[in-house]
Amino acid sequence: MPLERVSKGFKDISMSFQYNPLNNDLIAIKNETAISRSIRNIVFTLPGEKFFNEDFGSSVSRVLFENVDEISASSIESQIRTSINNYEPRVSLISATAYPDYDNNSFDVTITYNIIGVDVSTQQLEFVLQPTR
Amino acid sequence: MPLVNFTNLDFDQIKESIKSYLRSNSNFTDYDFEGSNLSTIIDVLAYNTYITSYNANMVSNEVFIDSATLRENVVALARNIGYNPKSRKAARATVSFFVDTSNITPTPSSLTLRDGVVATSFGNFGNQSYSFCILKGNDVLKGNDQITNSNPSGITVPIVDNLATFTDIEIIEGTVLSNTFTYSSRNPNQRFILPNSGIDTDTISVIVTEGGRKAKYVLQDSLFDIDSTSRVFFLQEIEDERYEIIFGDGIFGKKLEEGYQIDVSYIVSSGDSANGISQFSFSGRITYERNGVTYPVTSGISLLTTGLGSSGGEPIESVSSIKKYAPRIYASQNRVLTSSDYETLIPTKIYPETESISVFGGEDLVPPQYGKVFISIKPRNGDFLPNLIKDNIKLKLKKYAVAGIVPEILDLKYLYIETASKVYYNTNLAPSSSYVSSLIQSNVNNYSESSELNKYGARFKYSKFLKIIDDSHESVTSNITTINIRRDLRIALNSFAEYQIGFGNEFHIKSMNGYNIKSSGFRVSGITQEVYLSDIPDSDAITGSIFLFTVPSVTSTSSTIVSRNVGTINYKTGIITLNPINITSGKVKNGQSVIEISAPPQSNDVIGLQDLYLQLDVSNSVFDMVVDNISSGLDPSASTYITSSSYANGLLVRPGGSVQGSTIVSGTGTIVGALAGSSSFITASTPTPTPTPTPTPTSSIPTFTFTPSFTSPSPSPSPSPSPSPSPSPSPSPSPSPSPSPSPGY
Repeated sequence: MPLERVSKGFKDISMSFQYNPLNNDLIAIKNETAISRSIRNIVFTLPGEKFFNEDFGSSVSRVLFENVDEISASSIESQIRTSINNYEPRVSLISATAYPDYDNNSFDVTITYNIIGVDVSTQQLEFVLQPTR
Repeated sequence: MPLVNFTNLDFDQIKESIKSYLRSNSNFTDYDFEGSNLSTIIDVLAYNTYITSYNANMVSNEVFIDSATLRENVVALARNIGYNPKSRKAARATVSFFVDTSNITPTPSSLTLRDGVVATSFGNFGNQSYSFCILKGNDVLKGNDQITNSNPSGITVPIVDNLATFTDIEIIEGTVLSNTFTYSSRNPNQRFILPNSGIDTDTISVIVTEGGRKAKYVLQDSLFDIDSTSRVFFLQEIEDERYEIIFGDGIFGKKLEEGYQIDVSYIVSSGDSANGISQFSFSGRITYERNGVTYPVTSGISLLTTGLGSSGGEPIESVSSIKKYAPRIYASQNRVLTSSDYETLIPTKIYPETESISVFGGEDLVPPQYGKVFISIKPRNGDFLPNLIKDNIKLKLKKYAVAGIVPEILDLKYLYIETASKVYYNTNLAPSSSYVSSLIQSNVNNYSESSELNKYGARFKYSKFLKIIDDSHESVTSNITTINIRRDLRIALNSFAEYQIGFGNEFHIKSMNGYNIKSSGFRVSGITQEVYLSDIPDSDAITGSIFLFTVPSVTSTSSTIVSRNVGTINYKTGIITLNPINITSGKVKNGQSVIEISAPPQSNDVIGLQDLYLQLDVSNSVFDMVVDNISSGLDPSASTYITSSSYANGLLVRPGGSVQGSTIVSGTGTIVGALAGSSSFITASTPTPTPTPTPTPTSSIPTFTFTPSFTSPSPSPSPSPSPSPSPSPSPSPSPSPSPSPSPGY
């Protein structure tokens, strides 16, 4: 029988800072939700934003002001891969793809990953990257 | 878990302690992952803690004078204990010049050198040009501090024979700036801040126009001696090395009233970088008045003659110096009681140009001199304090000193060593003789500046010195070095004084015929020519007498003795005593008239006995390069080898002195003049017990003595301070005539 790694689970605080009306406690996010939130945080954090950790994050937002084309999309993919591999040890990244959406001047990003040690199916995280200030 | 103590100043460690708190007190788990929301919150908390800790640390550091780092905090803390840090000091110099007014008709009665810039440094001095100015020093004060406005500000001199002579004008480096304030009682927070940094606070002049009348306010640093009407101002340093003027409050110092206009002028200087300038060119403004109209003078102005080169420039007191002196000044409470009080107060409040100072009470001396405190100051520029400054220091000390204690300022007593070396070198190994010579000189320089010599109780080690020369370069094969010791006898010009100077080392008697010691030339009242002094030993070869002689020229070998028995010499103890003698001029060194006296020591290892300060005088040492013909292979048989004497050379006078190789021919000495008050001109060489000079009826003879502290009391044989014509407060301008022998070498 193969050895199965079991993690005790991940529990993070919710950035909405809302409270549960039943027990008046802060809403927590767990496991895959917590991890997907973490991945979003990593991708959306600019290097230098985090105190005393100037390499943390990815510079995708810088690429968003380049031409919307396959080259930029490829650059975004590579940055997402690098940052997730470096800063999110809980996942095993399967793919990170960015599609240029020429009409909306944006990129559709899909990140696919497995969560290490938790018995859940492969996760997929999708979001749109738009050049905003 | 105990409460985490956030005294750490490291962000990561703070973060780690928050994490470890969460680890044991929370069911959240994601603090370990940098991307999590929790991590962001921990970052904010840790950063906040970090900033707070840092600020707390800085604040607590800046509260104490020992740990404060920011100048304005150190200054503010020093202010709390009544210490105002020294400002930058402008360098000062004196110049003289004259103006030919023959081309002005009719000739005015006087010329005025207007205040402001007077001179600039001649050419480029260290790639910088400095301007020197005079202050508005000529405001005429009438009673009650009022100032009349009639005098044109500047220095006015009369014209005599078509010449206006400006003599010894003190010029101050820097730029004169001024600020004007108007006091308003409606503004309770009004401050009078001088907006420039680099101010020499000694030059601040405050004139207040009190309803049409001008009054001068003076700087005051304590609350003593002032009342509600005293026109005083206080000064304090504020941020950025600037100064704020504070006026009285109507209790201590006169209170300003509505509409008073305050004119402040001061000099912003370059501090110590303008020291050492000795050539100036005129760039001032000279005017004369005729019928109420002011005309400028543009021609006929001579070149500037420098009296004293610029000196005394100082940077603003450093933070470390404030930290050192502020508590000590506080401890001394503006009083000088112990010797360390003097050592603290003089450099800070009285004479900032002090490089080093040593103070000891008279009770430490042998024999003790109670009621006196002896101060020895090494100034930053030069070796000695001018007498004027000594008197000034004594005067200023009165404010702080205990009544009844007399301060005596001693000069550092230098014993110079002069060497003359013949250095043999192998031409095959040396690039050039000048290369080897410069190597040797630089090594000797290093030795002369080392702590081996520059201390009390130092010893010049002859063999070490030879080794330094030998080891300077591989081409040096040997050296022959002779040693002379020298002291500079400072003279009290134009007054009878007895002199005694000790060398602390035994003299070598080279010739019983005399001329063992050499001196530089000087002039004596009653003798028209320049004279030199030298010695002739007695038959016991322990003592001898001093005589004066002249030479027709410096290189001449025939001397004419003009006066015998003008003093005594003790070869064993190395003490030379001159009977009362009126010297009118000598060799001028650093503005001081001196007689250089040198002698060969009995031992080549020279010691700095007791308070003698040993200095190797490299500038008066000679290094002659001699080709070693044998080692070079030029002359293996040594038939043309140049030999050098291991003994002092044939020169018998100091370079710049005179006389070579002369001997005393008894009886040939012709007496040229008479020395009033000194011993009679006896041709006998035996030391007659020097008769006590009859005190001249005109005034008491102030004795100006240099008495060795290691000898028995009152070694001066002759003019013991006779009680009858008591040495009253000296009427003559003679420098500090001390009635009793002053101590030491």
